[in-house]
Amino acid sequence: MIRTEQFIYTPREHEEEAASNSYVMSMVAIIAGLPLPIFNLIATLIFYLGNRKSTFFVRWHCTQALLSQFTLVILNSTAFWWTISIIFWEKSWDNYFFAYLLTVIIVNIAEFIATIYTAVQTRKGIHVAWWFYGTLTNLVCKPRI
Amino acid sequence: MKKQVIIEGILLALLFLVTWIGLAQVDWLRILKVETVTSKTEKKLGDIFLETFKKSDQEINNLQVTRGIDSIVQHICHANGIDFNRIKTHVLLNDQVNAFALPDGHLVIYTGLISKVANQEELTGVICHEIAHIELHHVMKKLIKEIGLSVLISLGSGNASGEILRESTKLLSSSAYDRKLEKEADIKAVDYLIQAQINPDHFANFLDRLSENDDRMYAYLGWINTHPDAKERAKYITSYSHSKGNRYLKILSDTGWQALRDGALR
Repeated sequence: MIRTEQFIYTPREHEEEAASNSYVMSMVAIIAGLPLPIFNLIATLIFYLGNRKSTFFVRWHCTQALLSQFTLVILNSTAFWWTISIIFWEKSWDNYFFAYLLTVIIVNIAEFIATIYTAVQTRKGIHVAWWFYGTLTNLVCKPRI
Repeated sequence: MKKQVIIEGILLALLFLVTWIGLAQVDWLRILKVETVTSKTEKKLGDIFLETFKKSDQEINNLQVTRGIDSIVQHICHANGIDFNRIKTHVLLNDQVNAFALPDGHLVIYTGLISKVANQEELTGVICHEIAHIELHHVMKKLIKEIGLSVLISLGSGNASGEILRESTKLLSSSAYDRKLEKEADIKAVDYLIQAQINPDHFANFLDRLSENDDRMYAYLGWINTHPDAKERAKYITSYSHSKGNRYLKILSDTGWQALRDGALR
């Protein structure tokens, strides 16, 4: 699910720090934004916008962090509104609801661990690409000529 | 590159779906004891609310009344595959034209309603409507929506204040379910009536008559006040029940019905 790749150039110290921070940002947002999942996305988006004119290494990792947050926001929002609909709009509890909650929790934990690992590795200058998100980032984030 | 993104995306979505559906095969409701907690709380709440009503209104234990009401409820339950023991009927001495469902299958009927209906079919229609609320789990849904699950649990465990109990009691007897739930209960009631071979037109007539009557006497009509848009409801009940059944019967004999009424009015 996570692969270490050779980046097209060797990033400098300040690039490693900024790229690593994009993951730290989304991690802090996960902790702060648990009740309202949209905070994760907003925090990562702000960090992405602040670094969109930065070097390729930083932009690449900000984009990967941002894209991964989109999926989490959709999954967490669905869980949030499903729970609200049960409490306020007379929907009933069922096994699919609890299974969904558990799956979303597993995804959040996996994402959390992957984020910590990637933040540490990126800080060391190691380029870490995630399954699907890394490939997608390669597609949308290109080096400036 | 695009093809690789699509393949990886589909695989990721599949992994999510397989995990979700796989976990859904586990009986979480049983493991987390959701049903047990809910039914225990519901039972306690039903007992608490019933006791509160019985404190202000005396329960009628006249055999003519209880046997008559039980015969009606038993006939409806038997015809519709409902567990008769789940419906606990109570007739309370009160002039209000009212009937309502409480948690844990308690069905309260005021003597005022028995005296105001024109015939046993009208009373059966109202009883079917309330049984529908019970069977469709509307009572707990309404309580959870209006006062919240945490308050209900504290009420069930005896930790809530008297004020909360008073408000909740008032909510159950004197405020309506929302329009969607009322319609659901009306339609279900018509189904019950038809299955039990009771003419549903009488239920519609009851609603229609009460909605049209602006006599001062009717200002005290609890059931109709808590069930607004009676005229519209009478219309869709008639329309829904149209050509659904044609062989009707009476649950109680004329003397049995008269005895029930006399017992309630005494």
